[in-house]
Amino acid sequence: MIACLLIPGFELRAALRTRPRLALVPTALAPEAGEEPLLGPVTAAAEEAGVKPGMRLGEALATCPSLALVERDPAAVEREWEEALRRLEDAGFAVQPVEHGVVVFETHGVERLYGGVQPALERALAAAGSAWDPRIGAAGRRFTALAAASVARPGQILIVAEKEEQAFLEPLPLSLLPLTAARYAELEGLGLRRLGELAQLPRGAVAERLGVEGRKAWRLAHGGRKARVRGRKPAVELAEVLVFPDAVGNELTLRRALGSLLERLLARPERAGRPFRKLALAARLVDGGSWRRAVTLRDATAEAGRLRAALGPKLAELPAPIVELRLEAVELAKHMGQQLALVEPAGEEAESRLREGLRQVRASTGTGSVCAVVEVAPWSRIPEARALVVPRDV
Amino acid sequence: MVTDSGSARVGRSAGRLNAPRPALVEQRFDGTPRVVNRELVTLVREEWRVVDRWWTDEPVDRRYFEVVLESGRNVCVYRDREEGCWFTQNA
Repeated sequence: MIACLLIPGFELRAALRTRPRLALVPTALAPEAGEEPLLGPVTAAAEEAGVKPGMRLGEALATCPSLALVERDPAAVEREWEEALRRLEDAGFAVQPVEHGVVVFETHGVERLYGGVQPALERALAAAGSAWDPRIGAAGRRFTALAAASVARPGQILIVAEKEEQAFLEPLPLSLLPLTAARYAELEGLGLRRLGELAQLPRGAVAERLGVEGRKAWRLAHGGRKARVRGRKPAVELAEVLVFPDAVGNELTLRRALGSLLERLLARPERAGRPFRKLALAARLVDGGSWRRAVTLRDATAEAGRLRAALGPKLAELPAPIVELRLEAVELAKHMGQQLALVEPAGEEAESRLREGLRQVRASTGTGSVCAVVEVAPWSRIPEARALVVPRDV
Repeated sequence: MVTDSGSARVGRSAGRLNAPRPALVEQRFDGTPRVVNRELVTLVREEWRVVDRWWTDEPVDRRYFEVVLESGRNVCVYRDREEGCWFTQNA
C-alpha cells in the first residue's frame, strides 16, 4: 500500500517555529521578493477572517487589516523538512519526498515490523511529530493516497481500500489535479467540478479537447498509474559554514568567502574523491531571515575553478548583507577516473610538500590549528576588517 | 539535502586578523601618547584619524599614532573616541 503524509502549509509552519504566538493570529507567508504579490499558506485564524492562500496581498490586507506577514525562511524550511524525513527514515520508512510537506512511502516493508498497516501509519504520524498537524492517506495508488491525505483531518489516517478507490475519488474536487489555473477555468466552464464527472467522460474526447494535460488529468481521475515508490538515497552529510564577525554585503568579500568554503569542502575526507553533482548555498541574513539557492551541475566536477564559476553568480542574488554563509554538498556523483598529466604542473611538488607539512601540524595540534588568511576587504580603513583567519582542513 | 553533521568542523567561525589589543597609555595635554605600556615615547612619527561606519550602530572614530618607544620599537596605538580607550594595532 502507498501512503502519503501531508503537512499543509509546511513553509509557513517552519517559519513560525521561532514565533509560535503568530500561529494563533491571522498570519500569512509573505510573497517572495520580485515575484507576483500573492500570499503563501495562511493560518486557520487568517482563513476564518476570509484570507485564502494565493490571494493578492492588497486584497488580503483589505479583507483582514490585522493580517501579519511572515518572511520566507527557506533555510529553516529545508532544515525542518530534512529532520522530518530523517525521523521517518529512522522509523524504517523508505521515503520519497514530493515537495515540502508532502512525502510518499510504501508500507509493505514495515507492516510486519509494526503489526499491520494501521499501526505502521500511526508510527509514521508520531515520527513526523504532532506539532506539525500531519495527516496520512493510504491507498493502492499514489494519487488516491495523496487525495485521501488532502481530505483527512489533522492527525487522521485515511485508508482507502483498492475496491473503493474509484468511489472515493468521484466526489472530490478537481482542484486536487495538478492543472494550471487556465485549465481549471476551462473545465469549470464545461460544467465539470468533481473528479467523478471528469472520469465519466470518454478518454479520447478529453484528450482531443484538453491535450496531453487533459489525458493525464483523466488518468488521475481514475486513480492514476500503479507506480512504485522509490525511496530516496540517504543524503550525504557534507557542509561547511563560515560565520562572519560583521555583516558582509560586498560581492568580492562574499566570493572570497565562497572560495574558502569550497576549499574546505573539497578537502573533506568524507568526499572520498567523488565529484559534486549538486551543491547548495545558504546564508543567514543580517535581519534574521535566510536565503538558499541550489545549483545542479551539468557535469559532476571537483574542480575548484568550475565550482566557483557555477556558484559565484548566485551570490549576486543575496537580498541583504549576511552574517553566515553555508555551502552544502547536496549530491555527490560516483567516483570518476582522473586523467593524469603528462607533464607535472609547475610548483606541484612544493605544493604537495607544503600540504603534507600542514597535515602533520594539524595532526599533532588538533582541528582548527591550521588557518588560512582570507583577504575580505583589503581597501578598508579599519585594519581588522581587511582580512579574516579561517580554519582550514589540509 | 544535507543536514548539519554536528561535527566540530561545521559552524566554525572566522576570526579577525590583526584585532586591536588594549594598551596602557599615558597621554599629554594635547592627546598624544607619552607612555605606551610603561615605556616612554621618544618620537611620534605619524598621526591620522579614521572615521568610518558612522551610518551604523557601531561607528568607528579612532585617532592613530605611530610612535617610537625608548627601546627603539615602532608601535602603532590609537585612541577609540567612541569608547575612550587606547589600543595597539598593526596599521
